[in-house]
Amino acid sequence: MARVVVVRDLVKEYPGRRALDGITFEVEEGEIFGLIGPNGAGKTTTLRILATIIKPTSGYAEICGKDVIREGMEVRKLISYLPEEAGAYSNLSGLEYLRFMASFYYDDDESIRGAVESAIAISGLGERLKEKTSNYSKGMRRRLLLARTLMVRPKLAILDEPTSGLDVTHAYHLRRVIKSYSKDHGTTVLISSHNMLEVEYLCDRVALIDQGRIIETGSPELLKSKYSAANLEDTFMKVVGFAQGS
Amino acid sequence: MPKGLRLLVIKEVKDLLRDPKILIGMILFPALILPLMGAAINISTGSLVEKSSGPLTVYVLDEDGGTVAQRILGFLQDNNVEIRLVRGSYEEAIKNVAGGGVLMVLPEGLSQKIESGARGEIMIYYGFKEFSILESLNAQRMSGLLGGFENILVRGLISENVPGANPDSILNPLLVNEKSVIKGVAQPISPYVLTNIVRMQGLMGPLVIMIVLILAMQVAATSIAIEKEAKTLETLLTIPVSRLNILFGKLVGSVTIALLATIANVFAFTYYVSSITSQVTSSIGNLDLASVGLIPPPEGYFLLGLTLFGALVSALALALTLGTLAQDVRGAQSIIGIVIVPIFLPTIFLMMGDMQTLPFSIQMVLYAIPFTYPVLASQSLITGNYAPILAGLVYMAFFTLFTLYLAAKVFTTEKVMTGRFSFKRRRL
Repeated sequence: MARVVVVRDLVKEYPGRRALDGITFEVEEGEIFGLIGPNGAGKTTTLRILATIIKPTSGYAEICGKDVIREGMEVRKLISYLPEEAGAYSNLSGLEYLRFMASFYYDDDESIRGAVESAIAISGLGERLKEKTSNYSKGMRRRLLLARTLMVRPKLAILDEPTSGLDVTHAYHLRRVIKSYSKDHGTTVLISSHNMLEVEYLCDRVALIDQGRIIETGSPELLKSKYSAANLEDTFMKVVGFAQGS
Repeated sequence: MPKGLRLLVIKEVKDLLRDPKILIGMILFPALILPLMGAAINISTGSLVEKSSGPLTVYVLDEDGGTVAQRILGFLQDNNVEIRLVRGSYEEAIKNVAGGGVLMVLPEGLSQKIESGARGEIMIYYGFKEFSILESLNAQRMSGLLGGFENILVRGLISENVPGANPDSILNPLLVNEKSVIKGVAQPISPYVLTNIVRMQGLMGPLVIMIVLILAMQVAATSIAIEKEAKTLETLLTIPVSRLNILFGKLVGSVTIALLATIANVFAFTYYVSSITSQVTSSIGNLDLASVGLIPPPEGYFLLGLTLFGALVSALALALTLGTLAQDVRGAQSIIGIVIVPIFLPTIFLMMGDMQTLPFSIQMVLYAIPFTYPVLASQSLITGNYAPILAGLVYMAFFTLFTLYLAAKVFTTEKVMTGRFSFKRRRL
C-alpha cells in the first residue's frame, strides 16, 4: 500500500518554546490515522505544517511524494484541510460558499456542480444551505465545513478536532460521514483529537503525542492489548506514565 | 486575470457589499447624510434670507421733528422699513426693543446742526434676545440704510456748497480699476474675488482625496483581519491558489469598494458644497474660471488621476501590510488610526497654504509622504506646475513597489498567521 504521508524528525520552535520535538510517522493510503493527545501536545502544529500553513524549523514532510516545504502549491492540490476553529464567509450562503471553494479545484462547471452536489449530500443541511452562513449554528457550520473539505475528493483530508465543541447529534453525524466517506472513496484521513473514544471508533491507526513527541503508534486494538487497557484513554494514560517514568 | 485572482475578487466584492457595516457606513450613509446636511443648510439659509428681506420694523423716538429727521424717516420708509413712532422718555422707548428690534433716537436740534454745517448725532439701539443671525442681519441692514442716507446727505451738501461740482469726483477722486493677469492676459476680475474662488475650488480636491484614501485603507486593513476574526484565513491559505493572488484579490476588492464609496462620497460632497456655497457664489457673480483662461488642461486631469491612483495603491499596500499583522478587526482599525495622520498632514498644510511658503523641513516631510502628490496635482490643475508631480509619480511608484514587496513578504510566510503588533515594552 502506498504511503500518502511521510513525516521525519519534524521540529518546530517558537520563541521560548519547542512545539514539536522530532515527530516521525507515516500514513498509508486509504487509512484513517489519528493524532491523539492533550491540548498543546503538538497535534495542530503538525497538521498546520502538513497543510503548508507554517514551516518546520527542521525535519522533513511529504504528501504523495511532494515536499510540503518546497512544493507547497502541489501539496495544496492534493489536500483538503479543516482547521479546528474554522468559519465560513458570513455574508455568503452555504451554497455560495461551497461553489466558491469548489471553483479553486475544478475548471469546468460540471465538475464544480458535481462537487457541490456531493457537499449537499455530505452536509445533510438541505434547504438551509440557501441561507447565509451567519444564521447557522455551530454544528451546522461544522457540517458545512466538513462537506467543503471532502467534496473535492482530496488525496488526503486533514481534520483538526472535527467534532470539538459539538453536541452529540452533530458529532455523531460527522463521525459517520468521515468513516463512510473514507471507506467509500478510499480517501486517506489524518485526524487530530483529544477525544479518545472518537478516535477509537474512527481510526485504523493512531499516534499518541505528548509534549511535541510521538510516544506510541499502532492500531487501537494493538495498543489496548499491548498496555492491557480497556480503552484508548486508559492506554494513553499508561503510555504517558511509562514515558514520564522512563 | 488569473482564475484564482478573479474568484477571490468576486468573492471579496460580494462579501464586502453584503456587509451592512460597509454598505451603510461607507456608501449609503455618506451618500445620504451629506446631501441632507446641505439641504438642511439650504432650507435654514433660505428662510433666513426670506425673513431678512421682509419689512424691517424700526421704533423711532423723534425729539427733533426738523426737516432732516423727516428726510431720514422718508428715506427709510422708501426702503422697506416700517416706522413706529414712540413718545416719552428714552428709558421708556428702549423697552420697545427689549424683546429684539431696532430703536432710533433723533435728538433735539439734529436738523439745525446739520443745516448749519455742524455734525449731527443719532443713536441706534439694537435689541438682542436670541443672539440669532437674523438679529445680526437686521443690524447690518439698518447700518447700511443709514450709510445710504448719509451718502445722499453728503451729495446734497456738496451740490449746495460747491456749485457745478460732480459729487463723485469729490467723494472718490481716485478710481481704482483692479484686474488680474492670468497666464499673461489681463482679466477684469478683482484679485480677491479670483483667489477666493480658486481657493474654494482647490479645497474640494484635497478633501475628497483625503476621504477616499481613509476609506480605502480601512477596507484594505480590515479585510485580512476579518478573515482572521471569522477564522476563514487558515482555510484560504490551504486551497490551491498562490498567496500573492490572495493578497492581490484583497487589493483589487478593496480598490473596487473604495471606488464605489468614492463615487458616492464625491457626488454627495459636491452636492453639499454647492448647497452651502450657492449664497457666496451668487454674491460674487458666479465667476466661471474657464471664461478667464483657467481651464484645467487634459494633461492636468490625467496627472491628477495618475497620482490619485498611485496614492490609492500605495495606501492600500501599506494598509494591507499593516493589516496582515493585526490579529483582529479592532487591531487593524487601531493601526489605520495611526497611519491616517500622514494623510491628514499634506491636506491640512496644503489646503490653506502653499508648499513654497512652508519651512524647508516641513516641505521635506511632505514630499516624503506619497499622499502629498494628489493634493499638489489638484493644485497644479490651475497653476500648471507639473514638475513636482512627475517627480512624485516616480517616488510613489518606488514607495508602492517597496510596500507591496513588504506585504508579499509578510503574506507568503507564516507571519500572516503568527505575526502581530506588540505595544508591550521589552523588559530591561
